[in-house]
Amino acid sequence: MAGLIQDIKLFGEDIPWFQGLREKGMEAFRRQGVPTAKTEAWKYTKPRDLNADDFVMNDSAFLAEFEGAHEEEHSGCCHHHGENCHCHEEGCRCGEEIDVRVDLPFDGYQLHFLNGRFVPVYPVLPRGVEIMTLMEAVVTQEAKPYLGHLVDLEHYPFAALNTAYMEEGVYIRIDRNVKLDKPVILVNHTEADAENLFYNLRNLIVVESGAKAELIEWYNYTGAEKSRYFANVVNEIFVERGAELRHYKMQDEAFKANHVALNMARVRSDGFYDAFCLQRGANIGRNETKVLLKEEQAVAEVNAAYIMHGWATLDTTTDIEHLAPETFSHQLVRGVVGGDAKGVFQGKIHIAKHAVKTEGTQLHKALLLTDTAEIDVKPELEIFADDVKCSHGAASGELDEEILFYMQSRGIGREEAKQILIDAYLDDVINKVADVSVRAWLKDRAGA
Amino acid sequence: MVKEKPEIADESGDKYKYGFVTDIAADTAPKGLNEDIIRLISHKKGEPEWLLEWRLKAFAFWQTMTEPSWAKLSYEKIDYQDLYYYSAPKQKAAPKSLDEVDAELLKTYEKLGIPLKEQEALAGVVAVDAVFDSVSVATTYRAKLAEMGIIFCSISEAVKEHPDLVRKYLGSVVPYTDNFFACLNSAVFTDGSFVYIPKGVRCPMELSTYFRINARNTGQFERTLIVAEDDSYVSYLEGCTAPQRDENQLHAAIVEIVVLKNAEVKYSTVQNWYPGDKDGKGGVYNFVTKRAACRGENSKISWTQVETGSAVTWKYPSCVLQGDNSVGEFYSVAITNNRQQADTGTKMIHIGKNTTSKIISKGISAGFSNQTYRGLVRVAPNARGARNYSQCDSLLIGENCGSHTVPYIENRNKTAVIEHEATTSKISDEQMFYCLQRGIGEEEAVSLIVNGFCKEVMQHLPMEFAIEAAKLINVSLEGSVG
Repeated sequence: MAGLIQDIKLFGEDIPWFQGLREKGMEAFRRQGVPTAKTEAWKYTKPRDLNADDFVMNDSAFLAEFEGAHEEEHSGCCHHHGENCHCHEEGCRCGEEIDVRVDLPFDGYQLHFLNGRFVPVYPVLPRGVEIMTLMEAVVTQEAKPYLGHLVDLEHYPFAALNTAYMEEGVYIRIDRNVKLDKPVILVNHTEADAENLFYNLRNLIVVESGAKAELIEWYNYTGAEKSRYFANVVNEIFVERGAELRHYKMQDEAFKANHVALNMARVRSDGFYDAFCLQRGANIGRNETKVLLKEEQAVAEVNAAYIMHGWATLDTTTDIEHLAPETFSHQLVRGVVGGDAKGVFQGKIHIAKHAVKTEGTQLHKALLLTDTAEIDVKPELEIFADDVKCSHGAASGELDEEILFYMQSRGIGREEAKQILIDAYLDDVINKVADVSVRAWLKDRAGA
Repeated sequence: MVKEKPEIADESGDKYKYGFVTDIAADTAPKGLNEDIIRLISHKKGEPEWLLEWRLKAFAFWQTMTEPSWAKLSYEKIDYQDLYYYSAPKQKAAPKSLDEVDAELLKTYEKLGIPLKEQEALAGVVAVDAVFDSVSVATTYRAKLAEMGIIFCSISEAVKEHPDLVRKYLGSVVPYTDNFFACLNSAVFTDGSFVYIPKGVRCPMELSTYFRINARNTGQFERTLIVAEDDSYVSYLEGCTAPQRDENQLHAAIVEIVVLKNAEVKYSTVQNWYPGDKDGKGGVYNFVTKRAACRGENSKISWTQVETGSAVTWKYPSCVLQGDNSVGEFYSVAITNNRQQADTGTKMIHIGKNTTSKIISKGISAGFSNQTYRGLVRVAPNARGARNYSQCDSLLIGENCGSHTVPYIENRNKTAVIEHEATTSKISDEQMFYCLQRGIGEEEAVSLIVNGFCKEVMQHLPMEFAIEAAKLINVSLEGSVG
């Protein structure tokens, strides 16, 4: 644990409310430490090599720039690195032609992070959409009514750590009744030099009343195949009255990486939060989604899929809190586990007292491909109101021999037949993604 | 079943029908727990040295343990030094026949409706090893069973008469290191039942024990050991009633079952201990460790439980399916009302090949009660072809109760097929409306619907138990509507 409490200078230490939040995060993390096998929420996913002291956190890129800006030779160096920067300092990418755009089969407003740092190249945004870095949002007080409002530091040690060191990230606000035409895409790219890097990422997404947006998160890497890094991501998501957010995530990290993400979403009346996460990378990958259905007629759809081989542990954890009457949630999770991998699903539906006429459903299915694969499931119902309809189901098994035999008898090779069946198995949940072009991309990635 | 309701509705204007105290001078050890008390218990029972040593080992280990807090239960902390660990009805020699048994005691059982007397055998051929507080006082049908080689006696007798068997199996399924309460029990257990079914014998009658907690502040730590040899069969019934008390009483029992090749054991429980009054005052704390090991091929264990009593229940009857093709079953109805809390479920550990298990759990919460189903299904890497089906349904009555489901599923074999389903709902308005318009009163309608909800489990109970259980369900839910 000590290895993760690092003395690094961060930007914004002079903003009392913000620094106060960081301190709270640090206190909470000190109290809890890194989860162990005895931590119920981390029972099956053991961040085993986390105690290692050799993770290095990103120091403050902002601070370096900010201080640098006072010196003569850095004149023209803007708050972010930009075209006018002449500092020539090592590590400064300002002079370089920044071309981080990635080719995706669908159009969108791309934002990029490189090794956990925001790359200040902004897309041209339509009216009614505001995107700025987290620190800008903090300085301008924009983030104040949102930042840290959803995260319960006492129960999420990594979110507490994230809060203690938060600096990088973006703030995205979709104004009232604005219907975004294209998705906002966050591409998080890690490069080969990221050995032992630990980065914290904190994003705020606010979808104002009646607005409609789509957010895509993509975590990928180049060259860093064997590098071990740790991505600790927290997203705070606010879906206001009658708003709609579709949130799709693709976790494609390097196979020795750790990826721990917490998505906290609050949905107000008539709001709709639709989440889907496909995990296929990382050594330990955990995508945790907590949705607070705060007011009547709030709806959440939380779906996920995971596919893995090798040694990975991929964890999908959900916690849907029905806090008001007539709220609805649906979850579908499917996993394919091969190699020596371990799939984990922990899903919880909580129905608060008086939250009557609510409906919560949950289904988890997993396919085991090898004798050494493992699947651990803990679907949980916690119900304090009587007039509710809740159900969960969990099943696991292997590919049906009879179907394989049938396909082979029709001239399809065994391996190919298996692949067809696996694809079909995952299609069931990927088809829940409403955006057709994103769905096609996800299917493509799942099969890759 | 519904027709029988009026006669059991009330006996003395009190909700808890079995709330009476039998006045017998009890031989009680001083309060508190230490090595001396354990030596005293062991001495009083005339136990051999190995058992005393085992108890002391357990006690030493217990002192290093902390009380578990993971269950969704909240109760006042138990002061283990403020309890009596030994209390036996005073009697010089062990009774030879029913005539020697204290008349006062027999009366108590009569009130409970236990067919202890011979003529009552007609009511149902049941051999009862009645545990009154901690010492077994009477055992019927011993002779008849002995003819077939079946041993059915109290565990203290078994220690004396069949030491080899006891030594071989005691603690082999639930070692004293297992958990906090099991460890405490291992150190201080006072009595319980011992059943041994020899090879190839099918026990002709249902064996039964009634446990009663009687003396004030006595923790009841009984220990049951059942061994079913190859190709044997036995059905065992355990029924529990305790008189009304203001203070919480602790009950930490262990049931160990060893099932060998081709053998089958059916274990049924009806638990209706004092649940406390409607404000949650008093009531029994029930922390029980029950486990069966299916050690041979094709062995089978079936747990059926109806849990209506106790203020706090912490109980997970488990099946360790070691033998190939062995079968584990768990059928449970748990009903909580007022301020009762129950955290109960099962564990199915699949180790052998082609092992199958089935879990049917029905939970009904009413009033201000909280209930949790907590279950584990684990498939070991070598358990090829393992099969599990779990179904957990909960019914909520009233807006202040809670119902929770926490299943754990751990699968390490790809050929295993595991299915789990759980639903939570309330009694539908349509069902109620239908009953009401047919002239069935509200309370009666609820019990009708609840009985229907539980039917899947109730039909696994032996006949006489099923009737008692159906009555209990009605009693437990009294006052939960409206």
